[in-house]
Amino acid sequence: MSSDVLYSIRNLDVEYDTRLGGVRAVDDFSLDIQKGEILGLVGESGCGKSTLGKGMMRTITTPGHIVGGELWFEGVDLMTLSEKQMSGIRGNKIGMVFQDPMTSLNPLMTIVDHLTEAIRAHHKEVSQQAARARATEMVAELGIRTERIDDYPHQFSGGMRQRIMIALVLALNASLVIADEPTTALDVIVEAQFLDLLRGLRKEFELTILLITHNIGVVAELADRVAVMYAGKLAEVAPVDSLFLETKHPYSRGLLKSVPNIDVDNQELYKMEGAPPNLIAPPSGCRFHPRCPYAVALCAAEEPELTTVSGEQHRATCWIYSDRKDRPTDGLT
Amino acid sequence: MTDEKALVRLEHVEKFFPVPRGLIASLRDRGEKPAVRAVDDVSFEIKRGEVLGLAGESGSGKSTVGRLVLRLLDPTAGRVFFDGVDLATLKPEEMRKTRSRMQVVFQDPLASLNPRMSVGRAVEHPAQIHMPDLTQQQRREAVYEIFGAVGLDPPKYFYDKYPHQISGGQRQRIVMARALITRPDLIVADEPIAMADVSVQALLLDLMMRLKEEFDLTYLFITHDLATTKYLCDRLAVMYLGKIVEVGNLREVFTNPQHPYTRALLSAVPVPDPRHRRTEPLPQGEIPNPINPPAGCHFHPRCPIAQKGICDVEAPELLPFHDDDAHLVSCHLRTGAYQDLDPDRQIA
Amino acid sequence: MPDPVLLDAPPEEQWQIDLERVGLLRRLLNGRKWYGVDWWMVVISSIMVVFFIVIAFFPGLLAPHDPLEQVGPRFLPPGDKPDAEVLLLRVDSPIESLADLAGQGRVPTAVVQGAPSSEDIRSEAERITQELAATGSDDRIRFRILRLETLEEVLAAIQAGDVELGAGSSQQLEPLMDAYPDVVIAGPISGEKGGKTFLLGTNQIGQDVLSRLSWGARIALIIGFTASIFSLVLGVPLGLFAGFTGGKIDRGLTLVMDSLYAFPGLILAIAIAAVLGPSIVNVIVAIAVLYIPTYYRIVRGQTLSTKESLHVEAATSIGATKTSILRRYIFPLVIPSVAIIFSVNIADAILTGAALSFLGLGLPPTTPDWGIDLARGQEFIQRAWWLITFPGIAVMLVVLAFTMLGEGLTEIFNPKLRKQ
Repeated sequence: MSSDVLYSIRNLDVEYDTRLGGVRAVDDFSLDIQKGEILGLVGESGCGKSTLGKGMMRTITTPGHIVGGELWFEGVDLMTLSEKQMSGIRGNKIGMVFQDPMTSLNPLMTIVDHLTEAIRAHHKEVSQQAARARATEMVAELGIRTERIDDYPHQFSGGMRQRIMIALVLALNASLVIADEPTTALDVIVEAQFLDLLRGLRKEFELTILLITHNIGVVAELADRVAVMYAGKLAEVAPVDSLFLETKHPYSRGLLKSVPNIDVDNQELYKMEGAPPNLIAPPSGCRFHPRCPYAVALCAAEEPELTTVSGEQHRATCWIYSDRKDRPTDGLT
Repeated sequence: MTDEKALVRLEHVEKFFPVPRGLIASLRDRGEKPAVRAVDDVSFEIKRGEVLGLAGESGSGKSTVGRLVLRLLDPTAGRVFFDGVDLATLKPEEMRKTRSRMQVVFQDPLASLNPRMSVGRAVEHPAQIHMPDLTQQQRREAVYEIFGAVGLDPPKYFYDKYPHQISGGQRQRIVMARALITRPDLIVADEPIAMADVSVQALLLDLMMRLKEEFDLTYLFITHDLATTKYLCDRLAVMYLGKIVEVGNLREVFTNPQHPYTRALLSAVPVPDPRHRRTEPLPQGEIPNPINPPAGCHFHPRCPIAQKGICDVEAPELLPFHDDDAHLVSCHLRTGAYQDLDPDRQIA
Repeated sequence: MPDPVLLDAPPEEQWQIDLERVGLLRRLLNGRKWYGVDWWMVVISSIMVVFFIVIAFFPGLLAPHDPLEQVGPRFLPPGDKPDAEVLLLRVDSPIESLADLAGQGRVPTAVVQGAPSSEDIRSEAERITQELAATGSDDRIRFRILRLETLEEVLAAIQAGDVELGAGSSQQLEPLMDAYPDVVIAGPISGEKGGKTFLLGTNQIGQDVLSRLSWGARIALIIGFTASIFSLVLGVPLGLFAGFTGGKIDRGLTLVMDSLYAFPGLILAIAIAAVLGPSIVNVIVAIAVLYIPTYYRIVRGQTLSTKESLHVEAATSIGATKTSILRRYIFPLVIPSVAIIFSVNIADAILTGAALSFLGLGLPPTTPDWGIDLARGQEFIQRAWWLITFPGIAVMLVVLAFTMLGEGLTEIFNPKLRKQ
């Protein structure tokens, strides 16, 4: 099992300094990403999911910083690498796709320049012509018209730019892609097209993708496994079917039930009371307890640990699934 | 179903935005000035107490329609009626008075609140303008009352807060309170929940429903997310490149969509269920440039059923589908003279 | 049944209330981590600015002397002890100090003509006489002065008993004393005045440089503040008005302001000051005119962009009048950037004021002003480096402090402004 792990986050802590004090945006977070899977990471704004993605690439900038933890990638703890070694891994072994691709594309370079540079970064022996030919091929494969290869990034629409980002990742032959809200800025039809494209590519190139998003629907369509994050902590992680159909953590349940589903008639939306806590002063015990319908004294007093709840793959951080006498119950277990 | 009871009526409304050009370009081809055809011959009406959903992708002109209804923009052509009055005929002072009856809620609550005005005073300001008879104490009471109605509790706690000191969901409630304090008839809600988190979206949708009942409101609900229209809207209009392509009762449009674009839009919505698989094929490409939209039916280059010689030549009209006056479709193959060419119909 | 613990749980806003209780001081301190370099810039420059303002209000705190009075020898280097002027007597003389001479009639005294000691002995005698007069005594010290060419002649005159006493500088006396065994040094002419040092030296007319600097701070800040307030009061409303109304008025005003702005600043100020003539008011007017476009441009730009913002559209949709939109929805948003330019502007104004004085176009020549001191000191640059160094440093520090404060505040409150 563990031999298939591509990236392993162990006890990662990331803190931001604010005017009001330190904020643990990611708190003692551990998660494994298996080779070849699409792992969806969902949560509401401020839960620390984007910080986690940046932390995995060590690109957190002041006032934030990684306080501690280990980041094992291909047998190396990235935390022990120098900044120079790390920048060799970023963009080469770990590709990145952001919500706004313009931040990672050079506005003064044409698309073909971007791609040939990426190809030749790995295969120095490839001639300029050969690299161009390969780039043209890739662009065609991603549904971009080949005659637009000499255009500049700003001449493309948002959806096309996201495709270019994917082309870059493929050109670099990255073994892991971290996609942070890749479809959030896209319209629904373009989003659906992009998801179809990713689904096709991951089979062909055996891509491993960490898909960070707040859009539950996107995760349901694309991910193999889903991790739900709440207030800097991992709430639940499970294969996608098991997570959607046998949701265990009370927060995940509330979250999934509050998403409108166009296919279901007369669906009553779940109204989760309260708001996510501010992490300057997180609640004691389980961070979800002030909003949890099942919370008991134990939840406010002690913090639960990630436990296996059903099958080997389905784990949740909730007292309901412990064997304590004073545990809460949801009436199901 | 008396049309005279319509609270809002748009008649062939157009809005073109001139495209800024360089000096040389404007000298070279004088005469023809390029323009973004944001809204192109749009007509519809909203009955009192009704919720009309207006859906479309970015660049479809749906937000411009919202601003035209409120006369935050003046139409290039066509007429906008509010409660039977042509807004263009109103003098500035009359228009300002009329504004107390029509209000707006924008997508970004933080941007639509003055960052240097406490939220209490922001909500009080419309009352100050339109209810000058109230004393300061009475106005303040009115603010507290409306705070309670939108679920800001305790009201006194929020009065002196500034927009950056409260959460996104609370900010949107403040914006709702500001819209409601003059007891308007119409609220144009332009993507009111798009920026909120999933769990907050559900709360805001619920709030909008409650407020509609409590204050007898009529909504124009502008959104890109068709899934949310289900909870609020009575009727749904779908826009594409400045034109309405389909409009009808919500259930009818959802269960029996006729325009190929409506079908594509409905099927592209991500479904939070891993067992779900899309059935409808997606249209190719993206929305074309609205400065120079395709000839004929704007959708024909992406349309799976487009007929050469018809759809790329002639612009379709918004006509009743199967003589159902409540369900209008703008597609040659569904309505009008060419409907017999419809491939689906032949199969049936 | 929910647990009682949960019924007492704080409402969702509880954390916000708690956070607002964090003291202002702690928030300011935490800014250190949040803003890094900019925070330090602001803190250091605010301390400097406060220092300069305090000096401007109370120049006496730093200035030991009157800036216009000659208080020591000319060109005395910073920190140096001037030669001590001492009283010379015969060994057997009954006199111990100048005070003993009171009421003794004219005492024969030898001095070197034109030496500081001859000046000192007379002024000290004058001082003692006045002191005595204050106590009601009629006694006076009177000399019969014998003016000689050299110090040797003075010593010889005492040795020979021609005179009762003499005066000279201790450093010059030292190699000569052995040759005149009957003459002794009684001590400094005045214990207080003799050997006085000046921290930053004295200038070409014996004025204390430090005193002039601290009084100069007052002039500099008066010019800086009043000129900046003047341009602010004119520039801000014009910018607001032009940005909000737009159209022809906007285009016309912008044209005027841009032509002012395009003119080389100092040359414009020189022209205005030359026409108006030297006086502090005219300097202020010249500088104020120069900086009106700075405010105008920023305020107009901000007004234009704020006018398009969603919250102004929302204000229109609630039926607010134009004046109320301008007053309540646009103006408050423009204030922070105005405050920031104001700080940088003060620095510029001080610099321009100093430049005008340096060129002789500013203030009346006797004013203790940094620019004037620089201009005067420049003649003696080889002989007395301190005359231009210290006013130069003062100008630099005050300009640096205000600029740093402005820039630091910009980074913290309005990062977008920098990018414009």
